[in-house]
This record gives sequence, structure tokens and C-alpha cells, in this order.
Amino acid sequence: MKGIHLGEFEELVLLAVASLDENAYAVSIQSELLERVGRKSNISAVHTALYRMEDKGLVESSRGGAEAKRGGKNKRLFKVTNFGINMLKESKEKRESFWKTLPQISTTS
Amino acid sequence: MEDVTTNINHILRLNNPPKYSRRFLKWVISEELFDDIDGDLMELFHERATTANIWKAKSLYLQDVLLSTRNIYLRRKLKFYNPLVMYKNYLKIAFRNLLKYKGYSFINIFGLALGMASCLLILLFVNNEVSFDGFHEKKANIYRLDEVQTFGAVSAQKVALSMYPMGPNLLADYPEVVDFTRYWTMGRTLVEHENQQHYIGEIARVDTSFLEMFDFKLVRGNIDEAFQEMFDLVISESIAERLFGDEDPIGKLLKLPNDDVNLKVTAVMADVPDNSHLQFDALLSTKAWDSEQRQNGWGSNYLNTYLQLAPGVDIASLEAKFDDFLVKFMGEEALDYYELFLQPLSDVHLGSMDITHDYNNHKKFARSSVNIFVILAVFVLLIASINFMNLSTARAATRSREVGVRKSVGAFKGQITGQFVAESIVLTIIALLIAFGLCFVSINSLIQIIDRDLSMSLFFQPVNLLVVMAITVLIGLLSGIYPALVMSGFNPVMALKGSGTANSKSWFRNALVVFQYAIAIAIIIGTSVATRQLNYMQNLDLGFDKELTVVMNMYQETNDKYELLSSELKNQSNILDVTATSQRLGNNLHQTSMQYRADTALITGSSSFVQVDHNFFDFYKMEILEGRALSKEFAADERGRSFVVNETLARELGANGHDVVGMPFHFGGVDTLGQIVGIAKDFNYNKLNLKVEPLFMTSPTENYWSEVNVKIKAGNLQTAVQEIETVWTSLFPQRPFEYEFLDQHFSRLYQSEQQLTKVISILSGLAIIIASLGLFGLASFTVRQRLKEMGIRKVLGASVGQIVMILSKKFTLLVLIAFLIAAPVTYFLMSGWLDGYTYKISIGVIVFLVVGLGSWLIALLTVSVQSFRVAKSNPVDTLRIE
Repeated sequence: MKGIHLGEFEELVLLAVASLDENAYAVSIQSELLERVGRKSNISAVHTALYRMEDKGLVESSRGGAEAKRGGKNKRLFKVTNFGINMLKESKEKRESFWKTLPQISTTS
Repeated sequence: MEDVTTNINHILRLNNPPKYSRRFLKWVISEELFDDIDGDLMELFHERATTANIWKAKSLYLQDVLLSTRNIYLRRKLKFYNPLVMYKNYLKIAFRNLLKYKGYSFINIFGLALGMASCLLILLFVNNEVSFDGFHEKKANIYRLDEVQTFGAVSAQKVALSMYPMGPNLLADYPEVVDFTRYWTMGRTLVEHENQQHYIGEIARVDTSFLEMFDFKLVRGNIDEAFQEMFDLVISESIAERLFGDEDPIGKLLKLPNDDVNLKVTAVMADVPDNSHLQFDALLSTKAWDSEQRQNGWGSNYLNTYLQLAPGVDIASLEAKFDDFLVKFMGEEALDYYELFLQPLSDVHLGSMDITHDYNNHKKFARSSVNIFVILAVFVLLIASINFMNLSTARAATRSREVGVRKSVGAFKGQITGQFVAESIVLTIIALLIAFGLCFVSINSLIQIIDRDLSMSLFFQPVNLLVVMAITVLIGLLSGIYPALVMSGFNPVMALKGSGTANSKSWFRNALVVFQYAIAIAIIIGTSVATRQLNYMQNLDLGFDKELTVVMNMYQETNDKYELLSSELKNQSNILDVTATSQRLGNNLHQTSMQYRADTALITGSSSFVQVDHNFFDFYKMEILEGRALSKEFAADERGRSFVVNETLARELGANGHDVVGMPFHFGGVDTLGQIVGIAKDFNYNKLNLKVEPLFMTSPTENYWSEVNVKIKAGNLQTAVQEIETVWTSLFPQRPFEYEFLDQHFSRLYQSEQQLTKVISILSGLAIIIASLGLFGLASFTVRQRLKEMGIRKVLGASVGQIVMILSKKFTLLVLIAFLIAAPVTYFLMSGWLDGYTYKISIGVIVFLVVGLGSWLIALLTVSVQSFRVAKSNPVDTLRIE
């Protein structure tokens, strides 16, 4: 699919969705990002990323798990699509191909 | 664990996120996403509220909300949402509802269609009126030259007449005037072609510039060559076809039998369209009449003059110069009698009601009447639209379950509003189609009533069709939006339980009913007052007997044999009497200057006059108040030296206590003073909205009548007319016999008023029908809503009468309020209208009482039909519904 690129934040969110498995919704993703990579983000940014990726076909969503603390509203649960998984793999491979050709890189201070 | 739960519950109960922030979020985020995002934010808030300070949680919540504005453009298609299926469902439900309540659907759609049809037809008519003289390219710069004449005691009057020399001299003296043409009719003219005699309806004498100023298109020949020779003639296509058939008319000669002159056809023009105020069948140039005497003929007014002005000329300042113009050619005293003014071409058809001697103004009409039509049409449409809206709103109650189901299945408010608005638009479009059908059916009757050339094809021009469609959709939208909002606002739980939520805002519906009825009542009162006034005028004693009188035009050769004609006619068994006059009664009479001697002074004044045969007063059963009528017995009478004046002139002449009978008097052409021999009671020789002017009557010195009047016996009109015809054709075989009844001539004076009242009567009938249809529908819904209440009342012992009373009470009140609003407004408007008439009826209370009671009864009847049914029904049936 030509023209679809993952932004850096989007990639993180996508990874978080993948790692959260069955319970990936905006609030859990936000806290996952904070815990795993120390990334502080506003909930609205997470929303933007999720819905954009849904438009691109990287994730799909369903509703479920209403709770009183949510004012009785359902959660929107996200799941990475096959296309999203391929995208993640591809992205990882591209990065690795760079690492392979640049073995001697080291921090110079 | 229990503690935590109670704690959370406590927080949930007491600390909700800030209300206004949440409302803002709802406003920002699209409807489909709101639930998800709102839930997320709420969860975060509650988490923070339990772990941290409540104020911090609130401020963070606000921050989240504000940052969420970035997602304002996020949209989501609802999953599994197939609009097509939904639309199909909307359509199906809409039609099921239409069929389920057939009666109401019919009332709803048909009422609107009736309103639309009358509006469409009136628009056609108005369009036709406004289009008069619109086809002339130079219309903006063409003006008709009219006069205001003030002759002595006769009140100042505007006349559509001007003098022969005015046109050319205005063109010569004022650079503002670019061109001029005169228009001087010859009336019906007999022409001879190959020994065959034909009438040409109207030959007009015009200046050669006529065809350049006005766009009457030539189909053969060209403008430059049309009027080269003195007797060049331009004829219309239909005349050409009648006279020459398929032959080429150009160059053909037509003989005027009386003048031994040959007219040569040089061009053929398209027939004059019906929406031209000038109507003629042939044109001649004025050249043949352009004698020196005429060129200096200041003071005689007998034709129309049209001026073409340079673009941008200031009319007021040009008119101001006309006084100098009159003084230059006619001397100072001209200003005592004449004032000139310019009338824009676009005003001639609709703006000439106050102008008399307006002989060349085809189907002249009042602009105020056109406005009345437009207002009425809009009102009728308004009543119909209100009906439509009212019924749809009332019907909302029956569809509350549907709304409830739709909402609980997940319909948004916007979808339900859209559904009902769209439904209402579809219904208005159906109504429009029916309205077109109604127009097709009824257009011919309308054409007959108003005598206009209307065609439905106007609506099918793309632009007009678009406008009509746009207005229809607008009506659908406006009348659909209120019920749609009411319905989409239903609480689904209440709606599903089936408890009517529609009752709460019924004051709005009631206000609309009052408004409708007020308009309908006003229109009906207005119509009946106008009709009564018109009948009153037509049946008023005019002061002379106009019944059973046949009038015929006289011509040169018929005048030569007047005595013979008269005696032959009198010999017929069905003919009572014959007289002759110089002018037909029922027109504004010509005026002339007169002189009379009071004491020793010779005083000059002016008055209307008519020359009459000596038996005129007997013939018309006019009353002579003083002195005597004209008579054969007196030699002076025969020589035009005796005068009979009417009361109005007598008052003026006898102002200083002089004896009027016996007063020396003469007029115009005669140079020796004659004598007034009698005073006749005032009679109305013109429309009754004009007052009686001073008038004198005398016999001419020789027979030159413009018409002969024949009084016939009642009962045998047909035979009498045949007798006249036999005499006429035996004496004048070359003159086709033509006649008119005088009373018909008089009723034609009121033609414009008659057309107006007829159309208004129809419209007012429609208004009350449509309003009643609406009330009927509304009543049935109200009754339906109160079924149970009525059942209980019956069980508790209420009688049929009491229940009908209860249900009718409200509507009686509504009609009463409508009446109280409409009555004073109508009274005020109609008094203003009646002030324009000299002889008028008093409005009186009775009209108001009758119309008020009538509309109340109609309303009561419509409501009772419904309530009676409920009252008669078995309470078991009504109470069982659950």
C-alpha cells in the first residue's frame, strides 16, 4: 500500500495496541505508553492516532466493557489488523537493515 | 473492599466532571465519536478524582476537553450502517402511514394542493398583468402624454387625450424628446376588395415613427417602406389571411367605399398580442389627415400621443416645462384649463384607473387589484401550509412509538429530524403535482372569468419551474421542521410507553388555528362587503331607465336616412320608441365651454354636454323638475337654441338666486344666445364611483348622431332585435347590423370590479374550505387523544350532548378569538376601500355577525362530526385500549 507511513507516535501507539491484546482502548494505551516507554501524552493525541490508524486500516475497533466510572459508556476496544502487523514488521525490518549495514556505529562524545 | 466501592460510588455521585466542559466536548466532537471519547475522559477524571485532589482532576479534565478540539474533524461512518436500507424503510413507513390514515393524508395533501393551485393560477394571472407592454424594447423611455383638464365647475379630471399639434412641436422644442407618435383610431372601418366588403376591426392612424418606437413586428415588408405614400396600409396577419387568403397581400388595394380612396397594403405585421394596451388590426399614417387646420388645431383633444425620451431624462423637470409650452402655443389662459403630464408606458395598463376618456387601453386593470390578488394568493397558501404543519404535528402523536423504536435502536436526533423533514418535503412535492393537475382542470374557467390569455406553459420554463420547486421545497421544509423537532425531541421511554407528548405545546397549534381562521374570516367579510357594494351600484336607480334598450352606432350614410330609420322602426310591433344621441350613456361625456347671462353679465363656464333627440327625456323616463323637456312643438328647440340642464348645473347657474329656467344660454359653436327651458333631475351617466357632473342637453341643428337607441317591448327580445335588423339591412344593405344592449354596456363599466370580486369570492371560498379541512383534521386528532377521558366521562354519566360540548368548547374559543382579531382589521380596511365610492353601502354589523356565526358554525360542524362519533361510541371500546 503506497502512501501509508507510520508516524513515530503512531508506531508507538500501534505497538501498545498490539501488546495490550484484548484490552486496548485509549485510556489503557495512554498509561501503557507512560509505563513502557515513559512517553507522556494527552488522551486527545491518543484518540487522534487511533482513529487515523483506523481510517488507514491498521487497526479495527469494537465496543465493549461499559463501566460506571465511564458514565455507563462503552469502551472502544482496538485490535491490530493483519495489515497493521505487516506494517509493524516492515518498519522493524527497515530499521534493522540500517543497523546491519552500520555495525561500527558507536556513541562518540 | 466494601469501603472502596462505597468510596467510588460516593465520588461518582458527588463529583461529576464539570458540566459545561462536558457540554463543550459534546459540541466539539462529532456525534458518532462522542460516546467513546466522553467515556475515556470520564474514566480518566474519575481515576484522578480518586487518586488526587478533585480540583486538579477538574482542571485536567478541562485540559483534556480543550485539547480534544484537535479531533473536531474526526468523523466515523457508523459501522454496519447501510443508508439505502434505512431510506427504503423511511419511504415504506411514510407510505404505510399515509395509507393507514387515509382521510388525514387526503386532507393534508389535498388541502395543500388546493392552496398551491390557487396560488399558481393567481401567479399566472399576475404575471400576465405585469407583462402588459413589456415586449417593447424601448419601453423604459416611452411615455404617454396625458392631460389634466379643469373646465369651470366640472371637477379636474385626468384624460388620456392630447392635441394633434402637440407631438411634432414637443419634438421640435425639447431636445429631451427623441421621437413621438400619435395614435388616432378610426374605429371599425368598412373596406372593399374586389367588390367584396369587409370590416377591419380597428384602423389606427399613426405617425411613421410608430413601428420604430413600438415593437410590433412586421412579417412582410419592411419598416422604412411601410408608410412612404399617403395611403399606405399595414395590416395584421389575420386580416391578410381573411381578405387575401393565400395570395401575397403586398401591393393589394383596398377601397374605402365612402371616401373613394384606395389604400395600398405595404406590409403585414404579426397580430397584436393580447398583452398590449394598444389593439389594432391595421395602421395608416397620419399624412392623409395632416391639413394645416389640424396642424394648428390647438384646443381639440381627440388622440393619444406617445413620446420617446432620451435615456436618463428627469420626468418632473420636463413636465415642469410643459406649462411654458402650452402658453407659447395657446396663450396664458390655456393654463386655466390644461396641464400636461407624462405616464410611463409600464403604468398605462395598470395605472390608468383614474384616467377618463381612455379609449385605447385594452383590458385596463387596477394595480391595487393585482396587489389584492397577490396578497390573497399568499394568504391562501399560508393557510394551506399552516394546515399542513398543524396536521403533521398532530399526527406526531400517533407516531411516537415509531420514534421510540428508532431511537432505542440507535437513531440520532438529527436522523429523525431529517426523516420527518424529508417526508414533509416529499408530501409537498406530491401536493404540487396534484396542484398542477388542478390547475390544468380549472384554468379554462379562470380564463373565462377574467378574460385573459393564460397558459400553463409558463411554469414549464426551466427558471420558473425551478422557482416553483424551490418554493415547494421551502414550504415542505418550513412546515416539516416544527413537527420534526417535536418528534425527534421525544423521550424514547415515554414515546414507547405511548403516552402522547404532543399535548404540551398545543398552544402553538392553537395560535396557528386562530391565525388561519382570522385570515379566512377577514377574506370572507371583505368579499361580501365588496360584492354587496358592486351589486348595490349595478342595481342603483341611475335616474333613467336603461333596461330594454338596444343601441347601434350611426354612420354618415345612416344619418342621412335617420328620419326614415326612426319611423320605420317605430312601425314595428315590438318596438316602443326610438331616439338618438351624440354620445352613449355610460361613458364619461365630452365637455365644452358655455356662456350664460346672469343679470347683465355674460359669464363663461364649462360643462359636460350631450346632444339628444327631442324625445330623449321620454325615452329614458327622465324626470323634469322644472320647466319642460325639449319638444318638436317649439321651433327654437329644433334649431339648437333650447337647453335642458341637470340639477348640478342648475345649482351652479342659479347660485346667486337667479331663475335658471328662461336664462339666456349658449355653447361652443352657436353664436346667438338661446334659452334654458328646463331642469332635469340628476342622473348617473357614468360609473357610480364618480359623482354627477354639470350637464346640459340640447338638440342639434341637423341630424348628425353617433348612435340611435331603440326601446323594445319586454318579453320578445329576440323578435324585437330581428325586427330592428330587418329594418336596418333593408335601409343600409352595405352596413352589417351590429347592436348592444345598454344595460350590458353599463355592466361592462364594472367589468374589472366584477372580475375582481368573482376571483376573490372563489379564493375566499377556498380559504374557508382549506381552513375547515385543517380544523377537521386537527379536531379528529384532539378527539383521538382524549378518547379515554371521554370514555371515563361517559361511564361517570356524561350525556352525548355534554361530551360534544366539552370537545367543541376549545374550538369555539379559538374561532371567537380569530373573529375578534379579524373583525376590526377588516372593518378598517373595507371602510377605506368604500371611501373611494360616491354611492356606497354602509358596512353594518350584520355582515360581521353573519360571517362570524357562519364560520363558528362551520368550525362547530367540523368538530362535532368528530366529537359526536366519540360521544356515541361505547365506553368499553374506548377504555379497553391499552
